[in-house]
Amino acid sequence: MKTSGSIIAEKIRKTGKSGELSIRSENLPTWCPGCGYFGIHQGMNQAIQNLKIPHHEIVMVSGIGCAGRYPFFVNTYGFHSAHGRTLPVATGIKMANPKLTVFAVGGDGDGLGIGGGHLPHMARKDINVNYILFDNSIYGLTKGQPSPTSMVGFKTKASPYGNEPAPLNGTLMALAYGASFVARLFAGDAKGIAAVLEQAIQHPGFSFLHIYSSCVTFDKQYKTWDFLNKNVHPTADGYDTSNHKDAINGVLEDDYTTGIIYWKKNA
Amino acid sequence: MDERHFVVIGNGPGGSQAALTLRRESPESRITVISKERGGFYPPHRIPELISGVISEEDLFVFSPGSFKERNIKLRSGQEVVDLDLRNQQVILEHKEKIPFDGLIIAVGGKPRIPEYLAVFSDLLMTLKTLQNAKDWVAKLSSAQKVLIVGGDLTSLAFSKILLSMQKQVYFLLSEEAFWPIRCTPALFEEVSLALARKGIHVLTPSQIRSLSVLPDKSIELRTDHDTVCADIIGAFFGLVPDIRFTARSGLKIDRGILVDEYLFTGFQGVYAAGDCAQIYHPQIQDYWVSIGHDNAVALGRIAAMNLLGSRVMANVSKESIFEVQDIKVNTSWWTEF
Amino acid sequence: MGGKDLTIEICGMSGDGTIAAGQLLNAALVNAGYSLLAFDSYPAEIRGFGRCVTHSRVGSGKMIALKNKAHVLISLDDQESVSRIPFLDTDAVVLFDNKPMAFLAENQSIAAHVEPEAKLIGVPFGDLSAGATGSRQGRNLVALGAFAGLFGVLPEFFNKAIEKKFSSKGKPVVDSNLACFQVGYQHVLEFYKEDISGDLGEASVHENKDSFLISGNEAIAMGALDANVHFYFGYPITPATPVMEILAEKLPKRGGKVMQMEDEIASIGAVIGSFFAGKRAMTATSGPGFALMTELIAHATVTETPAVIVNAQRGGPGTGLPTKTEQSDLQVAVYGGPGDSARIVWAPTDVQECYEFTLRSFQIAEKYQTPVILLTDFFLHNRVESLEKLSSAAEMISDGNLYPAEEKINAYKRYEITETGISPRALPGSEGFIFSATGLEHTEKGRPDYSSAIHMQMSEKRHRKIRGALSDLPPPVEYAPKGQLDLGIIAWGSTFGAALEAVTQEQEQGKRIGALKITSIFPFHEEVISAFMTKCREVLIPELNFEGQLANLIGHLHGKKVKRLNQVTGTPLTPWDIGEAIHSILKVLD
Repeated sequence: MKTSGSIIAEKIRKTGKSGELSIRSENLPTWCPGCGYFGIHQGMNQAIQNLKIPHHEIVMVSGIGCAGRYPFFVNTYGFHSAHGRTLPVATGIKMANPKLTVFAVGGDGDGLGIGGGHLPHMARKDINVNYILFDNSIYGLTKGQPSPTSMVGFKTKASPYGNEPAPLNGTLMALAYGASFVARLFAGDAKGIAAVLEQAIQHPGFSFLHIYSSCVTFDKQYKTWDFLNKNVHPTADGYDTSNHKDAINGVLEDDYTTGIIYWKKNA
Repeated sequence: MDERHFVVIGNGPGGSQAALTLRRESPESRITVISKERGGFYPPHRIPELISGVISEEDLFVFSPGSFKERNIKLRSGQEVVDLDLRNQQVILEHKEKIPFDGLIIAVGGKPRIPEYLAVFSDLLMTLKTLQNAKDWVAKLSSAQKVLIVGGDLTSLAFSKILLSMQKQVYFLLSEEAFWPIRCTPALFEEVSLALARKGIHVLTPSQIRSLSVLPDKSIELRTDHDTVCADIIGAFFGLVPDIRFTARSGLKIDRGILVDEYLFTGFQGVYAAGDCAQIYHPQIQDYWVSIGHDNAVALGRIAAMNLLGSRVMANVSKESIFEVQDIKVNTSWWTEF
Repeated sequence: MGGKDLTIEICGMSGDGTIAAGQLLNAALVNAGYSLLAFDSYPAEIRGFGRCVTHSRVGSGKMIALKNKAHVLISLDDQESVSRIPFLDTDAVVLFDNKPMAFLAENQSIAAHVEPEAKLIGVPFGDLSAGATGSRQGRNLVALGAFAGLFGVLPEFFNKAIEKKFSSKGKPVVDSNLACFQVGYQHVLEFYKEDISGDLGEASVHENKDSFLISGNEAIAMGALDANVHFYFGYPITPATPVMEILAEKLPKRGGKVMQMEDEIASIGAVIGSFFAGKRAMTATSGPGFALMTELIAHATVTETPAVIVNAQRGGPGTGLPTKTEQSDLQVAVYGGPGDSARIVWAPTDVQECYEFTLRSFQIAEKYQTPVILLTDFFLHNRVESLEKLSSAAEMISDGNLYPAEEKINAYKRYEITETGISPRALPGSEGFIFSATGLEHTEKGRPDYSSAIHMQMSEKRHRKIRGALSDLPPPVEYAPKGQLDLGIIAWGSTFGAALEAVTQEQEQGKRIGALKITSIFPFHEEVISAFMTKCREVLIPELNFEGQLANLIGHLHGKKVKRLNQVTGTPLTPWDIGEAIHSILKVLD
């Protein structure tokens, strides 16, 4: 069956062969075919190409999980760190060499579970790191356990009677922590991701990109591509990204708006 | 459970003996000895021997502080009693600590007497009673040649022997207090003067001291009506007076010393006095006598302790052994100590 | 060691100015040219309410340990000072206020508790202070004056210290402190002539006129600054916090920065990140924080990234005894973290080495591409010593990184297996050397690989690399006569000073005994240690932990079981403690 993810995966294979996406490393991603992460990968590649950032001046810091493998798939410097610890390592790297473009990438467990304690401080210090949260609401690498963003009732081997705790709202958290650039995106929209990423990279502070994705292997029931496709929609025309209060209210009311949710542009 | 607290003021022969006796006879009670001087117990009459170097400081001490600890006697060393609150049964120390007692024995002994007419010169005079005094003498004698002794009590007679053995030039200016506590008769005076002279001591004509002054070379010049003498050290040996200033407000009956009955009892419940600081009533002569000397003090210390614990032992000396010196009845064990 | 050696304690309640008095005492004695080692105890409570004790050992020769008994006690609060009496020499000098404001009940004065052999010196601190300044607040200065008078310390040394300490508070404050000192000094000269000992008088003043006082905290901060550290990422924890605070003030002036992180994990993460990108960074923590760091420390041994971490050991386990000293983190410092992750660990034995080792840690971390742990303790951090100088040579602080050669461009293997085990390391931003560091086992190129051969090879490479650090780390130092020994004492950290002093005392008695100072905890110099142990009939390892962690690490090098002296009292081992152990061992040997 052709899912959005598998379509993207195929496209990447084709374009990779064509040499257009030079950011790709020689290592083929270890993600499952149809994984939403391919879309994020494509968006990232595009943004970096558009901005013409030299690859040796980019550092990808990752955590543990499927998203954690990301540095190996890109032709940049990388640091595959410990579970939940991307943000502190990224801080040290950026402070040591401000000329580098530093990304922190990780999954929802990595970022909102074990690493959850670092997010508020990154936001309040406004360190110029671009944090991409690959949110598929599952612990995929360990073969399917509920994550901090899983729906109530989500059945897995670790939650045979259904997941109990309510899910965290990563975008809301970033807003509440005072992050100066908050965006929520859909892995199926590589173009959208690329466009927002370009802005995020140029934003001279902490950028938080919360990207919804689906785990095609271990979640065939809840947060599927169909579900996401049906629910995600861009923010309304004329949406004011500078209004923090409205941004929070908006996110409280609607979990599926995409685009730049909030952007504090310094004078 | 004996919860009584017995306090002994003074750690000389009288005080230490009192404490030992109390401990022997009442093993469970609390006993505190308070001594103005630091250190353990030593017999004061052996102090002169320390100066000549016949004995060392270690030999001097009969009782180390450790010996008190072994017997569970608390020794407050180098702490001074400045007042007695007998109504509330507490002694007050110089550093404002109040110590309550159930029984108190005052055995503070005597301190060197400086006659009125010499009081103004007291800074220039050296006395000899305590260990610290002895140390001061040792220090000064290392560079002194001429020593002038004024007064001439029995201690000084013994001390002069020691000075001679140290090759010092010794001068004596005997006063009416000479040979204290023995009465000074003209015959005795004559005899002793000759004896001193024979030993090589210069005996000055007894006469009033008019002035004392320090010369540029740090020696001291003494003028009497008769002579002018220069000496490196002037020692004042006028006998002892009870060291009882702290009793002034206590209510105790005081004459020269603390007045006590033949059982050494002061009249205040649980309060006794013993040794050189006491004046003891003798029922036979119907007057008070003063005890002088180490052996006497030891005996009296023991008696005071026994009586404090309930015995009725008389401080008994034969009336024949009491003599008068300057209107004071004296009995001294010094006869036997020389 | 013929010469002056005096231990002075000041004890009071918070608010009595005890600590300030201790600081002035230390400063004055150093001004006078003496050598000094001081270590205070503070109240543990946040509001600082409780007993304060300052403890200073002063003398002619270098002071390397604390004694177990003090010679002088200055009591600013008798109730508190009574607790110090068991720690006094029997014939100690005790200075106290003999005119308290109100009468005291029996036993409320310290006079009631001192040994009869003690020299009790009563000086009316409060009254004299009131007389000189109108307030009793200057009691502590009066007490110092009395001390100075008794021991012959010239007032000028105290005056200099007083002026320096209070100058920022204005002339009236300086003057009233000087006046209080003076009045105490005069009082003793007048009333305690016979007790003046002159032990610390001018006749003993020494050559060390330029020495200065420095604490372990300051020494560590100075070492980092002199090594051009750029960042300090840290989290407050007793007893390491002062290092952060000193650097927070001084680093920005040098173009660096202190960033307080949300926890110790973030701290070590940022340090690693900084070194990864080529800038020197450090963190300092204690047991509980260090435990949190172990995952990332082990991770750094696999990514082969440098880091510098100070672990200021305190009483454990768990939250333990935050304000007490101990040496119980040796094993976690060497091995803590998942898998075979042993890394470079060294332990200074005094304040001078705190400076020197911190200084050198950065270059060593860069050279061996691994975390370097500086294992210190509460005692080292909080003690002050008088030192003559702190010197750093350029070769100790130069860049230790090995960069890839030009030929490797586009053919770079980040984890290339080399003879030394050290693989040239490219810094992000260098064109043509792109790589990813990973905590997973990996090939020479850095690609994750779990195969048996790779894991064996890479493990061997990493361990060989670490062992190579032996050439850069200080070997053990022997303090022993030539030939066979009856007993050898091996000690580390702040315990070594006490061990050396105990051993020196025994050597002066003609005993065949020696000491071995170990500063490189891992890797350790097996051959040197074995050689020393071979010539000893018995070996004793004293340390402040319950099981004997150094003994467990190196004990197997001795032909027979090593003897242990394990103490966890929260206080340093003294030469006396070690001496007792030495005596009982020697007795059995005879």
